[in-house]
Amino acid sequence: MAGYPEGLRGRPDWLRSEWWLALVSPYLKTLARRLGIAGLDMGALATLWILISYTVIWLGRGEIGYSLVPWWVLGLGAVELAALWESFGHSLGQRLARVELKRPDGKKVSFGQRLLHYLLWHVSVLSLVGLVAPVPWHERLAGLQLAGVTAEGRVPRPWWRTSTGLYLLILGAVALVAGGSVTITQENLERLFTEAWRMGKFFRAVFNPDFSILTRSIRDLIVTFFIAIMATVFAVWVSVPLSFLAARNLMRGPLGRLIYTALRGTLSIMRSIEPIVWAIIFLVWVTARRAPFAGVLALWVHSIADLTKLYAERLESIDPGLIEAITATGANRLQVLRYAVVPQIINPYISFTLYRWDINIRMAIVVSLVGGGGIGFDLREYLRNAQYSQAALLVMLIIILVWAIDYLSARLRAKLA
Amino acid sequence: MATKPLSLSSSPVDWRQLRRRSFSFFLDWLVWGYVAYGVVYLLTKYWWEVPLARFLTPIPIPAWGWPLVILGTLETAVWSRALGRSLGLRAFGLALNAPANNRPSLRAKLRRGLLWHLNFTPLGFFYLVREGKFIQDVKSGLEVGPPPDLYPGSRSSPLRDQWAWTALLVVVLTLWVGWLVVEADLGTLIARWDKAGQIYWGKVRYDLRYFLRPTELPLPRVTSTGLLKPDFRYLLVPDPAFELRRLSASILDLMVVTVFMALLATVLGVVLAFPLSFLGARNIMGFSPVGWMIYFLVRGFFNVFRSIPTIMWTVLFAVWVGWGSPFAGVLGLTLHTIAALGKLYSEQVEGIDPGPVEAVVAAGGSRLEVIRYAVIPQISPSYWAFTLYRWDINVRMSTVIALVGGGGIGDMLFYHKDKGNWELVGAVVVVIVAVVWAMDYISGRLRERIV
Repeated sequence: MAGYPEGLRGRPDWLRSEWWLALVSPYLKTLARRLGIAGLDMGALATLWILISYTVIWLGRGEIGYSLVPWWVLGLGAVELAALWESFGHSLGQRLARVELKRPDGKKVSFGQRLLHYLLWHVSVLSLVGLVAPVPWHERLAGLQLAGVTAEGRVPRPWWRTSTGLYLLILGAVALVAGGSVTITQENLERLFTEAWRMGKFFRAVFNPDFSILTRSIRDLIVTFFIAIMATVFAVWVSVPLSFLAARNLMRGPLGRLIYTALRGTLSIMRSIEPIVWAIIFLVWVTARRAPFAGVLALWVHSIADLTKLYAERLESIDPGLIEAITATGANRLQVLRYAVVPQIINPYISFTLYRWDINIRMAIVVSLVGGGGIGFDLREYLRNAQYSQAALLVMLIIILVWAIDYLSARLRAKLA
Repeated sequence: MATKPLSLSSSPVDWRQLRRRSFSFFLDWLVWGYVAYGVVYLLTKYWWEVPLARFLTPIPIPAWGWPLVILGTLETAVWSRALGRSLGLRAFGLALNAPANNRPSLRAKLRRGLLWHLNFTPLGFFYLVREGKFIQDVKSGLEVGPPPDLYPGSRSSPLRDQWAWTALLVVVLTLWVGWLVVEADLGTLIARWDKAGQIYWGKVRYDLRYFLRPTELPLPRVTSTGLLKPDFRYLLVPDPAFELRRLSASILDLMVVTVFMALLATVLGVVLAFPLSFLGARNIMGFSPVGWMIYFLVRGFFNVFRSIPTIMWTVLFAVWVGWGSPFAGVLGLTLHTIAALGKLYSEQVEGIDPGPVEAVVAAGGSRLEVIRYAVIPQISPSYWAFTLYRWDINVRMSTVIALVGGGGIGDMLFYHKDKGNWELVGAVVVVIVAVVWAMDYISGRLRERIV
């Protein structure tokens, strides 16, 4: 609208149906931005404190605990420290939002201004009104503003000299100490050395596999192979239609957006649950007598979620120009689909399917662990019972299968690309 | 061509072509072997259902049958290649060509199929050595080569070619045999719907008689609840029934341990995979014999250890360092992380722009300096992206690794699943989903920023 004379503009903001939104949106935007930055900083500081407490409690008392101080102290401390961090340094939240505290005239911010910013911050927050202003009170009164980061007039510092870098360094170190101390016990560490002969036994068995179970194992391997294929084939049938519903550029309008959001949410929940958990559910459903079928269903659910996401992302990036061109010739929707959309997506779709098949082979082995239906169950039992030469044979067969499928799918995908 | 001296080295053999030809041949053999497997499977499956054959025995393959199968599929492969454009020929972009762009005659094709067998006689060997060509190529007048751009009177539909029918046969057999092998049964799926429903929303017993006399008898109640009605009683409070190493824990405690497992595994994996990735990159290792050897050793390690799933390694480590300890899970995850990340990393190193490397070498930099100043700046964004990707996978994996003694939240999940406390399983699953989803989201956002 920039080049138009004033009289030709559309309706003024306050005449539109969402006039109230236009009225409050700058304030809301300011508030959301400030809250986002502050929330990130408080969360970061609270996380660090919880991690430190966790480590101290675990190492000191051998228990699991999350805070050395009452929760309200932790909360207030995080808020105060976040305010300090934001006033006197370039905090994590500011860095992620790519803003920093600046003077409008571009000069260096003095210590006094920063102190004023920190003190007035309390007034702003306690009154709640000060935060909602387009430029919050504490910033305006301290003569500062949050503005985009610029590189000019700045001496580059190494990352560990910045407050965010230092924070991340401490966080990483504490997390490693906490993680290490809670997952590794002395008994386990001792066993790592005293029981190391098992590994020797295993590697000796690798060169001495037991071929008497070959026929049975190959039969299991074939089952695994077919589980992966059937799961992929079934999933493609569901995923291809679903992908059109999960593509943002095709689902317009309120109803379309609703379907899109609901579908994407469901899919991402389905994807977050490991196939093993799905297999447990389906094993109860179709009974352990049909274990391979349970495996297929488990992989099927997971593959649908994964494939639909991949397909839909591909659909979202198709070239709209081609669609417009075909539509301009007077083609109907089906013809547009046939001549503008399908040629753009067919190769990526096949390639994603092959990729998923490759993954499904590995997953089928894992899924078979929970109960029959493939090679994994036997392998788990052999390893548990320290029958290493039988396990070695299965491992060899698995490696051959996985390699072959990996190679085949990579070659085919390279050809499709 | 007959006047050429009798030596292999100077014979006009196109090795590239020969390699593709032999690969296509083995592909054909494999395809027909697969078809034979499918057919035999279906025959043994359905033999008893053919009414006429009811009094015959089923047909297991006897020991002498295996050579028969191998020879039979070999013959089929040979004839399918001689008589048309087989799947193997098509896959490798080859075809059977007659001279002067004519269509091969049936006579020539049959001769070619027969002549192929002479390759196993001294005569065939003699031809191969003298002409540098197979006897069937010389005597039938047909040669295997890239297909001509346009056959005279070329066919329009691929369904009129042999390879398309073979492919169709393979697909149909795969689906049919696959359906039988995986014991797919929609009947069970539907018939046991109510049993599965008990997992989801619990067993509800409505006894209508109680509604009539509500005063004396207890009201109809839910005897157990299911996955979809999660019970978050033990989210923050330790679960008394469940004990891990003499320590009762809440869902939150175990989830924190699980995330720590993933964190440790990722960090350890990255620390170890980073140096190994340079040893597994051909452009860094150079072309000296030692360099080749190290390259192959490291790459072999990556490939072998990558093909065995994390969960298998965890079983091994769980037997080793103690069943159910998180340390076993960490070790299993670490080993797989090293192999998987190492491969991705070293492919990145191999894909770098050689310009800066040459510049640093020209300035007199040592190999370490080359890596520091020319390689690392080029690879660091993709390294971070791969690491975050791996972190995601490790978080997911660590939630279920307890199944094989790896420790973590899965311990509680499988404990309550075995007990049939589906409402508690539901709570654990919800927490897992929330954490995995959050980690996924964070790492996705970070990856967006990096790349």
